[in-house]
Amino acid sequence: MPLVRDTIAQFIQAEGHKVDIASIDEESGVSEILFRTRGQVFSVTTYENAPGTFTISTAYEIPDWAREATTNLETLAHAGDDYPDVAFAMAHDGGLFIASCDEEAGSPEAFTRQIWETVARVREAGSHAIERIVDRTESKAAAEKFINSFMRGER
Amino acid sequence: MSDDPLKPIENALDDEGLYFDRDDDEDAYRISFKSEGDRYFVVAYRDDPSFFMIGSGWALPSPVDAHEALAVANVLNVRKKFVKTALWEDERDVLFTVELCTDDAEDIRPNFGRLLDVLRDTADEFFSELRAAE
Repeated sequence: MPLVRDTIAQFIQAEGHKVDIASIDEESGVSEILFRTRGQVFSVTTYENAPGTFTISTAYEIPDWAREATTNLETLAHAGDDYPDVAFAMAHDGGLFIASCDEEAGSPEAFTRQIWETVARVREAGSHAIERIVDRTESKAAAEKFINSFMRGER
Repeated sequence: MSDDPLKPIENALDDEGLYFDRDDDEDAYRISFKSEGDRYFVVAYRDDPSFFMIGSGWALPSPVDAHEALAVANVLNVRKKFVKTALWEDERDVLFTVELCTDDAEDIRPNFGRLLDVLRDTADEFFSELRAAE
């Protein structure tokens, strides 16, 4: 019986994409398959002990000027409300966030039939979240600039 | 610089993490590749070395009215940047192409991802519009 990891990796390759495979936990059979699509690196986590379960993840870098924003966690939480099946987690001291989706596909074959839809959903949710972070930070920066100018005003 | 005008496109595909195949002949240089399972091609003609075409071809679903499809294609041709949408009515196929003129395909390389995106988006919109019209 082929490994789940190999079945999924071969499928992604047959769909045109180069893959890198890493073993995360050899004992429990957890592996990660990395590939690029539409300029973004995605990973599929496979579990040999749960062959119908998969996790698709991708990371978004937060621009330097937006990393100090204390509102980013709250913004991610709101973005999660809009995409309830996608989870967001801040990483690298606020330098990036991970968007991920757990799929209970039932089997590797069933997962291959929906992988691109799931990738699209994670991408859409991640793009939505990074836009909200950038928009919110920019709004705050613009407001601060206005407030500072106002406070310096003279009568 | 390589004599192969499509070498920069091969590099762009490497940048995108995609496999590709070459199918050159006496008339043209050709690359075929897949992304998310969809097939695409790039062509450069030997007798027109500054012309490059990136495209994808699809079969029209059989119940689709050709006039309806032409109307959708026309709207997309007006609205979308870069992409030309054309129907081959006899074959019942639809072709999405980006046609570019450059002396060096290296100029295309940094924009290749964007061009692929717009090809995908145009095909998605074309078929979504057709489904909505059913």
